[in-house]
Parts: sequence; C-alpha cells; structure tokens
Amino acid sequence: MIDAETVGVLIMLIGLYGIISNEKPIKQVLSVNVLSVGLVLFFIGTGYIPNRTFPVMPANPVDPLPATLMLTTLVVDVALTALALALIMNMEVET
Amino acid sequence: MIPLLAALPLSFAFATALLIPLHRESLAKYLFLTGAFVPWVIFLLSGEGSEVVGGWTRMGGIEVAIGVYSKWFILAELLLFSLAALYSVVYFGRKVKPLVLLLLIHTGLLGAFISRDLFNYYIYMEVASVSTFSLVAFPGSGEAKRAAYKYLMLSMISSYFFVFAVGLLYLKTGYLNLYLMSRVITQSKEVSAAVAIAFTSLLLKAGIFPLHSWLPDANSAAPTPLVILSGITVNVPLYGMMLLSTYLPLSVPFRTALTFIAFTSMLGGVAMALLQRDAKRLLAYSTVSQMGYALLGIGTGNVLGAVYYSFAHSIIKGGLFLSVGSLSDARGSRHLDAISYRGDAVIAASVIALSLAIGGVSPFVSALGKAELLRRLTWGRWLFYLVGVGTMAAFTRLNYWLSRGNGEEVDWIYRLLSTVPVFLAVGFGLYLHQGFDPTDAVTVGAGVLAFALFRLSGITDRDIRFELPVGRDVSINAALYALFLLLLLHIL
Repeated sequence: MIDAETVGVLIMLIGLYGIISNEKPIKQVLSVNVLSVGLVLFFIGTGYIPNRTFPVMPANPVDPLPATLMLTTLVVDVALTALALALIMNMEVET
Repeated sequence: MIPLLAALPLSFAFATALLIPLHRESLAKYLFLTGAFVPWVIFLLSGEGSEVVGGWTRMGGIEVAIGVYSKWFILAELLLFSLAALYSVVYFGRKVKPLVLLLLIHTGLLGAFISRDLFNYYIYMEVASVSTFSLVAFPGSGEAKRAAYKYLMLSMISSYFFVFAVGLLYLKTGYLNLYLMSRVITQSKEVSAAVAIAFTSLLLKAGIFPLHSWLPDANSAAPTPLVILSGITVNVPLYGMMLLSTYLPLSVPFRTALTFIAFTSMLGGVAMALLQRDAKRLLAYSTVSQMGYALLGIGTGNVLGAVYYSFAHSIIKGGLFLSVGSLSDARGSRHLDAISYRGDAVIAASVIALSLAIGGVSPFVSALGKAELLRRLTWGRWLFYLVGVGTMAAFTRLNYWLSRGNGEEVDWIYRLLSTVPVFLAVGFGLYLHQGFDPTDAVTVGAGVLAFALFRLSGITDRDIRFELPVGRDVSINAALYALFLLLLLHIL
C-alpha cells in the first residue's frame, strides 16, 4: 500500500504545478495551500510507526514531534495566506 | 541569557503594538528605540557560547548559540538595525505599525542568527519574512503591493520545500539539532536530496541569480528604512547555507556546482546593475552580485571568507541604501537622471566612499573579505577580478549620474547617519588589520575606464526591465525554481 509520505510529496508537487500553470493570483494562493497540506501530510507520515498508539500517557507511542512541528507550520501558513489574500484584494481594487 | 536576544525585541514589539488601543501613540518611539537597542546589552554581556533553552538536554530542547562565525552576523544585524531604527523614527513620524513590524524583523533576524536547530531557524526566518512582506507593501502603491505579493509567493514556495528538506533530514537522523545530526549522519541519497532541496530554497531567499527576480522589485518599492535592512535580511539564508555546509556532508560535484552558481550570480548581478536607470534597482542588482561572492565562500569551503564578506557587504550596502534612499525620498523619484548629490556634500562624500568600499578597495573591511575569498579560490580568478572591475564600473555610473544636475539638502539626521557606515567600514578594516594595498588603484582605474567605454558605446544608456503581469511573473519564477531544484537534485 502507498504510504502517507509519498502521497504528501505528490500533493506538494501538484501544488507547485498549480502555481506554475495558473496566472490568476487567487488560484496561486490556493495552490500554495495545496502545497502546504502536502507538506503537513508528509510530516505526519514521518511520525507514524506501525502498531503504535497515540502519544498521550504513552506506553508505546508514535513519534509526536512531527505533528507538533506541523502545528507551527500551519500557523505560519494561515498568517501568510491572510496576508496574500489582503494583498490580492488591494491589487484587484486598483485594476 | 542568549535566548533574550530574540525575546526582548519581541516583547517590545508587543508592548509597542499595545500603545495603539491605549491611545498612547506618542510613546511608541521610545519603546521602539528601547526594543531596538536593548539586544546590544545582551550581546555584549553574554559573549561566545551555547545554551539550550529551558535547561534541557540537546536532545529535548532548542539550542541557541553565539559562535565564532555567527557573532559577525549578529554584530552586523545590530549595527545595521540601530541605523535603520534611528532613520525610521524620523521617516515614519507618528505611525506606529511600521515600527512594530520593524521590531518583529529585528526579532526574526536575531533569532535566526542564534539558532542551531533547523526548525527553529525556519520559524525565525519566517517571522522576519512575514514582517518584511507587509512592510514592502506599506507605501500602498500598486508597484509596492505587486512586489510584496511576488516576494511573498516565491518565498512561501521555497519555505515549504525547505521544511520538506528538514523533514527528510529528521526522518534520516531523528534529530533537528545540527550538532546531534552531524554526529549520526552518513552520506546517502536521501541526505544529498535533502541538502539539494534546502540549498535551492535558500538560494532563492538569498537572491542568487537567476532566482533573484523578487529582490530588485522588493528593494525598489519598499520604504527606505526597510531597504537599509535588505543587506542583512539576505544574510539569514546565507547563514542557513553556512550551517548546512559546516554540519552536513556536501559532495564535491555539489560544491563545484555552488561555485559555478556563485560566479553566474556575480556576473549576472553586475551586468544587470550596469543596465539600470533606477538608483535603488542598481543597488539591488549589486546585492545579487555581492551575494554571489558570499556563496563563493560556501562553495569553496571557505566559511570565514563568506562571513567576512557578507559582514562587509551588509554594512556598506546598508549605508548606500541609506544615502541614496534619503536623496531619492527628498526628490520623490528614484530615477538616476532626477536625483543628484550636488546639494549635499556630506551625502556625496558618503556615497563616494561607500562606492569605493563596495568595490573592495583597501583599507575598507570589504577588501579583507575579498582577500580571504581569493586565498581559497582554485579556479576562475580572472572572473573574480572581472566582476571587481564590473562592480567599480556600475558604481562609477551611479556616481556619474548623481554628480550631475542639482539636488536638495536632506535632513541633518539622515546626513549624520549616512557617515556612520563609512566609519564602520574603515574602522573594522583597520581593526581586522587590513593594510593599504596600492594595486587597488588598478581596479578602480579599470572600472572607471570600463564605464567610460560603456558610456561611449551607449550600452549603459539603456534601461532593462521586464514588465509582466504579477501572476505570470510568479508562475515563471516558480517554474525557474522547479527547474533549478531538478538541476541540483541531478547534480548532487
């Protein structure tokens, strides 16, 4: 079966393709979000170890670090998307 | 105590922002200046050393350090930010928000320069970048907003790929701390791929030719206090490359490729600088070329040379942007025909001195960086000298146009601040025992002669600019990034 890391990388590449092939700024911002979702999936995949449980009061947990790292990346992602959308709205008003 | 270096400006940024709802805007200036200068105390008191935040072991915590190399980056950041802070208090007047954003950039830069942990480095780089994007758009003109959007998109793409590379390294070694990573890492395909992806991302963020196109746009549209800092913001990705190249194994073909890219950037930047009629764009293209020098140090395994050179570059370029920026703000135009330093002898002296300094003339500190880079360069010396002559020609062009026409006098504070980088460049040159080298006169003479030839042939009267709709511009540059990524992945 195909693993989460591979799917993550594929989604990242789809996002990059989206930015290259779309010239509308709004679609480019959406493509960057696809890219970031791929990245999150890749990271969650790296933390996964078969037959382990969730990392709360752990006996035999999966690696919790990648998931926590991705929380930070998501925050950066939200901030940047908001800024990009604000810029696009301003650019649209002008033209 | 080292984490305070980043924490203090951050808390002052928060406090300054709080003044807006409290209607105490008149106090903002004082809080801002305190936040800008207080890291100096921490830097001078703490000295070299490393510590893990919260007193954990390296495995569980985030390591921060002031090292032999990174102290030069931090020193350059503190010097340049102090200049930019004093400049912006006058420039922004009673506006509070840009001051908050500047303090956030301060936090991001200092935090990135002290981190020894890849993920922490990424976060601080983003803190600095997000604030930079919003400040680039601050003037509110269409040009500024487009430049900010382009910078944001390209920087975002490369950031995500950088984090992906960090993820690959984590998957391979189980650590994010660079020291621990370097102890267990072995040369493998995955590691090489991670290094190649991380380098491509950092090359874009450092403004290396041909991934540089956001840099002239952003630097020409942004408000002057921000472009004073542009000499140091490009050093953050450089510091990242330095960390990667010292802690991780880089293959010989990869290093050769980096040296090759460095030469391309040096030549491409200088060629484009010669063809600009916009003063700030000329300086920005010169940054592209100067970052090539710094990358040359990393490619040839000469970290000390790269550190000295980027230290010199950030101070000198900051000074040039300050003087030329204040002239163009006074005139309300960036065009070389419109602005002139005739009206102001102090600014004129600073621009001439800094133009010589950026050409690497002794006894300025940049001469030391150049000598250090040349010591380890095994091939392409003639290219190195050629770029030196080209840089002198580009700056002769700047001075030629600035010395014509008549100009205004600028504010005395700006005038005073513009002399500081000159003294710093000479002072550090003498402190690091840079002697006087008479052969530099040859470079200057050749540069002036080259400019005279260009001028006679009429090449430099052109103005090269690629005007595209911003969406297409981003698409093309993203495609270029993807191609570069494939190229470096192929070489590794």
